[in-house]
Amino acid sequence: MNWQAIEWGAMLPELIVLGTSLLLILLDLFLRKTVSRRPLGFLALLGVAGAFSALVLQLHEPSIQLFHDMYRVDGFSKTFKMLLLIGTFLVLCLAYDAKLGREENVRGEFYYLILTALVGAMFMASSADMITLFIGLELLSVSSYIMAGLKKHDAQSTEAAFKYVVSGGIATAITLFGMSYLFGLSGETNLYSMAKALQETALPDQSYMLVFAFFITFTGLAFKIASVPFHMWAPDVYEGAMVPVTAFLSVVSKTAGFIFIIRFFVLVFMMSKGVNSDSLLQQVQPYIIWLSGITMLVGSIIALRQSNVKRLFAYSSIAQAGFILAAFSVFTPALFETMWFYLFAYVLMNIGAFAVIQEVTTRNNDTGMTSFEGLGKQSPWLALAMTIFLLSLAGIPATVGFIGKFGILIALLGYGGLHYVLAGILIAATLLSYVYYFNLIVQMYFRTGEVKEKRRSQKGLLIVTIVCAAATVIFGIVPNIALHFFYEQFSISTFLQL
Amino acid sequence: MTGEVIAFFVLAIVAIMGGMLLLHLSNVVHMVVALVFTFLAIAGIFITLSAEFVAAVQVLIYSGAVTIIMLFGIMLTRHDDVSEKKQIKSSTLLAAGGVGAFFLLMFFAINGMSVSEPATNLHVDNTKRIGELLYTNYLIPFELISVLLLAALIGAIILAKRDDKQEEKP
Repeated sequence: MNWQAIEWGAMLPELIVLGTSLLLILLDLFLRKTVSRRPLGFLALLGVAGAFSALVLQLHEPSIQLFHDMYRVDGFSKTFKMLLLIGTFLVLCLAYDAKLGREENVRGEFYYLILTALVGAMFMASSADMITLFIGLELLSVSSYIMAGLKKHDAQSTEAAFKYVVSGGIATAITLFGMSYLFGLSGETNLYSMAKALQETALPDQSYMLVFAFFITFTGLAFKIASVPFHMWAPDVYEGAMVPVTAFLSVVSKTAGFIFIIRFFVLVFMMSKGVNSDSLLQQVQPYIIWLSGITMLVGSIIALRQSNVKRLFAYSSIAQAGFILAAFSVFTPALFETMWFYLFAYVLMNIGAFAVIQEVTTRNNDTGMTSFEGLGKQSPWLALAMTIFLLSLAGIPATVGFIGKFGILIALLGYGGLHYVLAGILIAATLLSYVYYFNLIVQMYFRTGEVKEKRRSQKGLLIVTIVCAAATVIFGIVPNIALHFFYEQFSISTFLQL
Repeated sequence: MTGEVIAFFVLAIVAIMGGMLLLHLSNVVHMVVALVFTFLAIAGIFITLSAEFVAAVQVLIYSGAVTIIMLFGIMLTRHDDVSEKKQIKSSTLLAAGGVGAFFLLMFFAINGMSVSEPATNLHVDNTKRIGELLYTNYLIPFELISVLLLAALIGAIILAKRDDKQEEKP
């Protein structure tokens, strides 16, 4: 093999993030203990920004694949990597001002672990091989387990990390079990070769195994996106971890899970035959529909009874995972567009909401809903931003969340059949979500809280809030900018390698 | 019945028994010994599949390193030697029912499956070919694993290290 002939430049975004992370590890090791670790956060931000610009430079190049699709740069990977990088950048801005305990700043470890997690997620986005996908998933998961337990002296954080490791380990084992069946049936790890092998064998007695393999793998992956069979870790982990980590888990980690699901299931199962002659992905649609419906309802109904903001957002993020799964259940080419756009909207509105939550909860040193009392009087701009995010999460027109939800609803109604039921459940879950999102708005504007001392507004937080709020409104009014960009980059024929 | 089939059944039964004993023994050290039996039996199954390299790795890493680390973990931490007596609860029965149903489904699915002819040249130069593939096609996952191990190592250090503030006090 000729090493010069390989286009290493294609991996530049990942290499920049990885290099930054290694640099931060060394700096953290050699800096004196008394030196503040905040500059490390700034370096991490620079690294992510550098990776983002490297990715932008790649946008107009044709798609490349290295090492037999171990690594691919195509429209799919570029557009979804963009979401991951934007999400991580915003989370890093948040972490810049976060406090670990009362006075302690975020430790240096957080910055390089978030970057290794990002590397794992990015490799997942641009791989078409089962092994690379799995290792990327594990790199993301292992880094997240550690990040959840970074508040070492907090019993809740330790409990969160432990629960996360145990349920994550079980989910990983289940995913691998399902993948091992797929490898056994096809004899390949490359997703394109797998699809071909599974299409050719098409023996009816193998299709049962194939359906089982699908169910097992899907169940395992439900953990990463926190949808129903594996959602119970989310509230405890979200509550225990510090706010930037919670934001990372609920946004970037979830996006990565959906990336895995789209790439893996669409490529492997689209062509393969199910129990009868239809495509397998077509046949398991009722299963995905019910799973998505139950996820939405469970998330929304339990969220009604929460009095802790972080737990509320954990259940709200479970319900949101249900919405995105609903988009996955519609098996048309529009699937990519609706899922990408909803995830884009989700990155903006959820990280924005977490920024406000971080500010309010550190101000009051309390994560109860009551800490939002009187926010509208005390800091009207913060309350306004939170209102925008909540309206967007609830799906009110003129916000980006509305466009995303509307796209999913139209896709469902265009398909018919059982999808009408899912559309009904989606509307019901949205109505339920109004109750708990508006409850928070009521707390902010119609309750008077005790007046607290004003804190100096913090730069990182300010940037995140302003950027997210502005983008939520702008893309809510002119969503075509984002959609046009997606259409320009993504083409289904390069994704399927037709 | 050929020798290969007999060897497979013996090894499979040892592996499953090891797993069962792991769940039912009450002494932690005994559990680890039961686990070693499972690991060794799996290494044996790899040999019957002419994957000698993987078998050697299995013995070295799982039966060797992982077991030693577990024993270290047990010896270095405080623990109650005997775990609580297990009682059969309704949730246990439910789990047993689920496992049984899963077994039956899988059993019938595998039973009805036709398997194509097994490969015959698996033993030819297999270690060399693993090495070649690992450093050409599978280079990216191979390197990515080193990042994964680095992250895990850092995590272990962060979570186990004593903080400076604590060190000053005593």
